[in-house]
Amino acid sequence: MSFFGLGGAAPQVSTEQKLKGAEAELDMITTMFNQLVDSCHRKCFDKNYSEGSLTKNESLCVDRCVSKYFDANVQVGNSMQSVGQSGTLGRGLK
Amino acid sequence: MDQLNYKEQQEFQKIVEQKQMNDFMRLYTNLVDRCFNDCVNDFTSDKLTSREETCLSRCAEKFLKHSERVGSQFQEQNQKLMDQMRGSK
Repeated sequence: MSFFGLGGAAPQVSTEQKLKGAEAELDMITTMFNQLVDSCHRKCFDKNYSEGSLTKNESLCVDRCVSKYFDANVQVGNSMQSVGQSGTLGRGLK
Repeated sequence: MDQLNYKEQQEFQKIVEQKQMNDFMRLYTNLVDRCFNDCVNDFTSDKLTSREETCLSRCAEKFLKHSERVGSQFQEQNQKLMDQMRGSK
C-alpha cells in the first residue's frame, strides 16, 4: 500500500492467499501423480502376480509411461491454451 | 508460486503433513481394494486360501514398488521439464 502516491509498489498478496495458492498447486501435482500411478499401473501390469518385484518389461513400460504422460500433459495444455484463445473454452455457452 | 516467507513456510508445512497423512490413507484403502479385486475370487470358504494370500502379498509389493518407481521417474521428468522451460527463456 503506497501512502505517498509514489506508486510502483506491487499489491501485497496476503499470507492467506499465498497459502491457498501453494495449496492449490500442491493439490494439482498430487492429483497428477496419483492419476499417473493408476494409469501406468493399468497399462503396464497384468493381474496375474507371478512375483512381488517389478520385471524388466514392467519397469521399462513404467519409465516410458511416465515420460509419455508428461509429454501428453504439455500437449493437452497447449491445446487448451489455443482453444481458450479462440474463445470456445466456455463450453458452448455462445 | 509466490515465495513463502519463513513463517508461511512453517504454516504450509503443517498443511503438507496433513495432506501426506490423507494421501497415505488413500493409498492404503485403494491398495486393499485393488488387490482384493485382483486376487480374491473364491468364496467356497470364509478364509483366504494360501494362493490368495500369496497373490495379495505379491500384488501389494508390486504396486508399492511401482509407485516408488513412478515417483523417481516423476522427479526426473519434472526436472527435465523445468530445465527445458529455463532453457527456452
